[in-house]
Amino acid sequence: MANDPIHQFRIHDIAGPWNILGHEISFTNSALFMGITVATITGVLLLAARKRSLVPGRLQSVGEMWYGLVHNMVDNVLGKEGAKFFPLVFSLFSFVLVANLLGMFPYFFTVTSHVIVTASLALFVVLLVVVVGIVKHGLGWFKLFVPHGVPLAILPFISLIEIISFLSRPISLGLRLFGNMLAGHIVLKVFAGFVVSLLALGGVGILGSLAPMAMAVALTALEFLVAGLQAFVFAILTCVYLNDALHPSH
Amino acid sequence: MARPAKPKTPPDPELGDIPDRLKELSSRLAQEKSTHAAQENPPRQYQGAGDYSKGYRLISEFVAGILVGAAVGYGLDKLFSTLPLFLIIFVLVGFAAGILNMSRAANRTSPTAEELAKMPKPTNDDEDK
Repeated sequence: MANDPIHQFRIHDIAGPWNILGHEISFTNSALFMGITVATITGVLLLAARKRSLVPGRLQSVGEMWYGLVHNMVDNVLGKEGAKFFPLVFSLFSFVLVANLLGMFPYFFTVTSHVIVTASLALFVVLLVVVVGIVKHGLGWFKLFVPHGVPLAILPFISLIEIISFLSRPISLGLRLFGNMLAGHIVLKVFAGFVVSLLALGGVGILGSLAPMAMAVALTALEFLVAGLQAFVFAILTCVYLNDALHPSH
Repeated sequence: MARPAKPKTPPDPELGDIPDRLKELSSRLAQEKSTHAAQENPPRQYQGAGDYSKGYRLISEFVAGILVGAAVGYGLDKLFSTLPLFLIIFVLVGFAAGILNMSRAANRTSPTAEELAKMPKPTNDDEDK
């Protein structure tokens, strides 16, 4: 029952399903938590920006650091012309970060532990790279797949590898976030489950349950780090990929 | 904001307090610079998880290459109904792409431990201009 480590990822309908244009569409717990994520981001940032004092208070500092982190990242990786993409990167970073952190609450659903969510985000980023690259550089953008200085004889082969390498970006981007969140939550649940089962044994079991308990505490700390880190990695890779769209020459 | 030291020299009749203001300005500049440097080097706190995520990142790049290669090969096979042929070829190409991805990611991530500490210039050499 409560010991099933996969149970936390189950999606169930909260409202619906409704039949919209022949599709079954319902409001699920995943959708609910995406809404909560967006509401949290908006709420916190609005609250942080409310006072606008010269010497920031605690909440305002959080907002400023949040903004500053992403701003620095975009500035460093993309340069000045990357400023256009700041809102996008900031939204992606905030969404992933807050979704990951919300998932750390007991009984909360982790939106980013579903591959469909992370893959959609990643696909969106990579498609954007293609669109921006073609709009900016026309067909010249495809030079990205033709590294210069390669002998003509093996060029087709190298291009093929480059193309596959490019295609694998959304997979690795989405898979990494998904895998980290899924694995982390499962491991956490498994160790927590050990504690419960050992406690149920009584006697020596109560003593023995201390070990997985310590592990679960340590893993919780690690998971918080991973939550932040993965959001950061997602954002910085978005920047690195967008950089390919802006400056396609390798 | 450390105020500059009180004027040591008596105020010059012509220059007024300009030397003092110059001194204040330079001290403010130095302070600005030091805070800027501090911003660029915030304490690294993600060190331990950094290694973990670095390994995970590399392996996911590699696996993604193979997965995409296999998917492309399988798709082509379905298209031309030559089942094992393109699958085999493209898994191998995907393997190569995975290695390429991984080496790129490793180049990109070598500063990752410091990434949070000091937003690195990306190792892409075309970035600066």
